[in-house]
Amino acid sequence: MTNPEKLIYSGFTFSIHGVLEDNEVDFIREFLDEHKRSIYDSGKLVLDFTDSPGLDTVPAVVLYGFCKELSRAGVKVSRNGASDVIEKLFSTLAQFDTSEPRKTRMSLHARFELLGKDVYEFGKTLCELGHFMGETLSAFAGMVIHPLKVRWPMVLYYMEESGYKAIPIVAVLPWLLGVVLGYQAGYQMRVFGAVTFMPALIGYSITWEIGPMLAAVLVAGRSGSAYAAEIGTMQVREEVDALRVMGFDIFSYLVTPKMIALLCVMPFLVLLANVTGIFGGLLAGSLFLDLSPATFVSELGKALIPLDILWGMLKSVVYAVIIANVGSYMGMKVRGGAAAVGKATTSAVVLSIFMVIIADALLSLLFIHIRPGLSM
Amino acid sequence: MFNQATADIQPVLKVEELEGGWDDLLVLENVNLEVRKGEVLAIVGKSGCGKSTLMHYLLGLLKPWKGRVIFKGSDIWSSPEALQRARSKWGVTFQSGALLGNLSLLENVMLPLKEYTDLSERDLRIVAYSKLDTVGLADFADSNPLEVSGGMQKRAGLARAMALDPEVLFFDEPSAGLDPVTSGSLDELIITINSTLGTTVVIVTHELASIFAISDRVVMLDPEEHGIIAVGAAAELRDRSSDGRVRLFFGRNLAAKKRSDRKCQ
Repeated sequence: MTNPEKLIYSGFTFSIHGVLEDNEVDFIREFLDEHKRSIYDSGKLVLDFTDSPGLDTVPAVVLYGFCKELSRAGVKVSRNGASDVIEKLFSTLAQFDTSEPRKTRMSLHARFELLGKDVYEFGKTLCELGHFMGETLSAFAGMVIHPLKVRWPMVLYYMEESGYKAIPIVAVLPWLLGVVLGYQAGYQMRVFGAVTFMPALIGYSITWEIGPMLAAVLVAGRSGSAYAAEIGTMQVREEVDALRVMGFDIFSYLVTPKMIALLCVMPFLVLLANVTGIFGGLLAGSLFLDLSPATFVSELGKALIPLDILWGMLKSVVYAVIIANVGSYMGMKVRGGAAAVGKATTSAVVLSIFMVIIADALLSLLFIHIRPGLSM
Repeated sequence: MFNQATADIQPVLKVEELEGGWDDLLVLENVNLEVRKGEVLAIVGKSGCGKSTLMHYLLGLLKPWKGRVIFKGSDIWSSPEALQRARSKWGVTFQSGALLGNLSLLENVMLPLKEYTDLSERDLRIVAYSKLDTVGLADFADSNPLEVSGGMQKRAGLARAMALDPEVLFFDEPSAGLDPVTSGSLDELIITINSTLGTTVVIVTHELASIFAISDRVVMLDPEEHGIIAVGAAAELRDRSSDGRVRLFFGRNLAAKKRSDRKCQ
């Protein structure tokens, strides 16, 4: 591709013929290196552009850098016969030569400021979320009075998406966890001859905590994120604004169907998680610990009371409200483009799991006082 | 790239007997087209006529069902190297600007330079700055693409397309979503680049004002014909074309004329 005739060096002068192109940079560098010594010795260089209509920017910056290096070493460099375009190109390059990369180091002060801002933003998000939930619940209350106003087909759709389709994962994961928990706990207990208490441990831990929590985390991951993405996309495409302008109440149109659907399916998902989790414990007992299923069931029956199961299902109602609201709220908060939707889905999952755990902690405090045999 | 002989009208890009479309849907058939060196060629037509499809074929993003796309004498589909070589010689600006959102404008312009040259970081910055300066955005070099206006995004996209001094610049709907003033200044920028650097410009658009302002030649496509129905200078097509569809496209201002006539009465 390169043409050696394009650059000629003779007596202080580089003559450039034709157009120097981007792909000739290597050739140009080689040429410059070759003649560097003699240019330094002569102390003078003229770039002659008389036969060149112009040059590409990349070769220009190579020539520019070379000339700069020469002038630093005391060689006199000048240009001859350069067209306006070429002169302008070189002056532009010189103009931006001084630009330094932007400083990215942050001072300690700025770091603290950023931290404060983040904390403030988080607090603000929680306040807004509270407001949002209030709006949703008031719309929900209105629907309790007028049940015909609910978009039932949408509720059924979300029940299928968030409930029915979640059944496999909500069944399998607690089951696996039950097996692991049963085996590990039972193994430790056997050392003390207390293996018969393993069913009680499984029963309590699964029904009080693991079942509801795992179901909530899975639903938050599957459906909370989906709600955020759905509403976020509608927000980006101005569909939400369109609905508002047409006089729809956003909360009863978009948010409550999701919440009602989750309210309907969550308790049953928790029930399912409880059943498979306990079944996992039973399996671990009979496979690894010589604990027959009959013993397991009878020991479990002695430990559990109906309130244990019911409490988990009741907790899930709270979780359902949290997940549906956080997901929808994050979707509503989307501003800008597709990237904002991705961020919203992530924060929907993170925030709803966070809030579910907070709610769980508070409800546990309450539970200690309600359940017979727990308060000291 | 610089135009060494302005009178020279050899085709830099040529389409021969092209036939193609999306999946099973035939969009273009029997398309013959020449893009001449140093000209501004506008590809126009109604929505759905295959403008963007033709652009995809010109850019080598789709492989033709039949026919050839020839860049500087060699078929771009003859070998992967031929396609790569052709691609390094043309620049494309997309409808939305298509800047990477996590990089600054300057870093966006540096992207192709980093990929195709071995310049030092300092030289990369100088070149990228000078390209941004060409489109008037040197002061916004450190801005994030999402922070600047739509017009600026397109200009930054143009700076990125020009980073490697392309021989052909492609524009996909440069005026889409811009106000008349901004799109006018973009047109001006395109003309400046075309006249000072001699870059060949291929532009897909349906902005009448833009077509008349900047194009040397117009290629008009039609959905029913699956191909080109007219080639020529814009004003000539408007005034002298015997084809009703062509006059209809260019004569949108007929409605405006009728309105002003009515007002005069």
